[in-house]
Amino acid sequence: MAQYLRAIGAGAVSIAGTCLTAVPYLFRWGELHKEVTEGYPDPVSSKTSDDLPPRSRGLLVNDIDHCTGCGDCRKICPVQCIHLEVEPQADDSKVWVSRFDIDNSKCMFCGLCVEVCLPGSLNHTRQFEGAAYELSQLTSSFGKGQVTAEQKAKWAAKRESNKKKEGL
Amino acid sequence: MNTLDASAKLWTSEWCRALGFLDGVPTWFYFFLALVFTYCFVVIPSGSVLSYLDRKLSADLQARVGPNQAGPAGILQPIADFLKLLQKQSTEKSNWREDVWLSIHTMALYSTLAVMPLGTFALMLDTEMSAFLPFWSALVLALGTMLLGFSQGTVPGWFGGMRIAAQTMAGSFPALMGLLCTGVRTGSFQWSQLATIQGFSPLSWTVFSNPFQTIACLVFVTSGLVLSATPPLDGGLSMSDIHGGVASQLHGRKYSLYRFGRFYVFFLWSVITVVLFLGAWILPLEVSRFLSDKGANRILSILELILLLFKTFAVMLTVIWIARVNPRSRVDQITSLAWKVLSPFSLIALVGASLWMGWRNLG
Repeated sequence: MAQYLRAIGAGAVSIAGTCLTAVPYLFRWGELHKEVTEGYPDPVSSKTSDDLPPRSRGLLVNDIDHCTGCGDCRKICPVQCIHLEVEPQADDSKVWVSRFDIDNSKCMFCGLCVEVCLPGSLNHTRQFEGAAYELSQLTSSFGKGQVTAEQKAKWAAKRESNKKKEGL
Repeated sequence: MNTLDASAKLWTSEWCRALGFLDGVPTWFYFFLALVFTYCFVVIPSGSVLSYLDRKLSADLQARVGPNQAGPAGILQPIADFLKLLQKQSTEKSNWREDVWLSIHTMALYSTLAVMPLGTFALMLDTEMSAFLPFWSALVLALGTMLLGFSQGTVPGWFGGMRIAAQTMAGSFPALMGLLCTGVRTGSFQWSQLATIQGFSPLSWTVFSNPFQTIACLVFVTSGLVLSATPPLDGGLSMSDIHGGVASQLHGRKYSLYRFGRFYVFFLWSVITVVLFLGAWILPLEVSRFLSDKGANRILSILELILLLFKTFAVMLTVIWIARVNPRSRVDQITSLAWKVLSPFSLIALVGASLWMGWRNLG
């Protein structure tokens, strides 16, 4: 009987003790009792403009003017999220990158493509909020656009003439 | 009290008379209006306020931030939640048995709106048995929850259903004894009688009228948590080994219906606790006499409701405080608590309170 009552008393004391322990947290008395969770890094709740770690990898961006269209990024990508289409241009040393699509829903932000990119045109941004309302919006496109058949023929003709010149 | 008197005293008839429309409508219409308005303007707003306070206070107690995006300090979070839950759709094909039991669950729940004591003028069913009606509802609710779990045909549903039934059975006995204790003091189980025997001052509340009533109050509140499976005593619904129990198979709107039902039971139980033990809606005598002499029954009923809700929220926030800082009990610990601790103490309280009243009457 005494044991039974003692157990009930101990339970009540324990519950009351826990409740009282939590009171300073409710009123945030002192440094020790401040909230420890950090706000989600977005414009509303972030305390600084950029709460991300210095080397964090966000969505990919390709500076298409410096891209050589070599396709190393596509080859190394473990999830095949990069789609690349290139056209040879008039000058043999240059290519026209008509399509450079990164499927952000597949990308796993491993950063391998950025490492192999020789001209350094492919980079991670610090943007990480990739949610979109349409499936098509999940793909970020950097290509210069499809080339018309006319233009292709022009370039081909130019290349032919260049070759002939070299041959001469 | 017969139906006609009740409708003449009902707050909706006061308002209809004051606004000068709906002359000569049938009596049942006043009841209908009262039910709808109580649900829309008392229960649902209380739910949103409490859900916000619950989330914000428990975040503070646990050194977290809590809702902070919707409006200043996240104050619009309940509205955002509501809009989101409306959009959600069930991902699975409809299970008609689940639908049936969820409907029965909901009907059992909201039938208690008719007996919910919210003030002198909000008593729709003020009979000698009124105080017992929420009990039958709670038991039917437990049955509905159990069969809702069974109808899902899953392990969480099956075990969750069994556990909720066991827990409700364990909790209903001490809760009933606690209710009898107030009956011993009042001599009636009519809401109006249970309320008017108390006064505005805490000294005249049933809970402080004698030590046995204090025990009865503590037992009543705790066994109410067991009966309605409210945190911290919600092991039957939320144990980790059954992954959320009955609720684990519910999605979207069905889930929100179910969750709001859980809130409603908690709210109902707190209202009943306040009415039985904590001075009900009774205002200071001068105030209520002054207002009723002036015939300002509408102001009186609003003041009573505010006082009642204030006390109810205080009770609920105390329970939330305990629930958020203590670990959840296992379901076997809960039933063991109900049978081995709450039941003996409720009997002690009942016998003690009866002897106390007998001794006082002799004196």
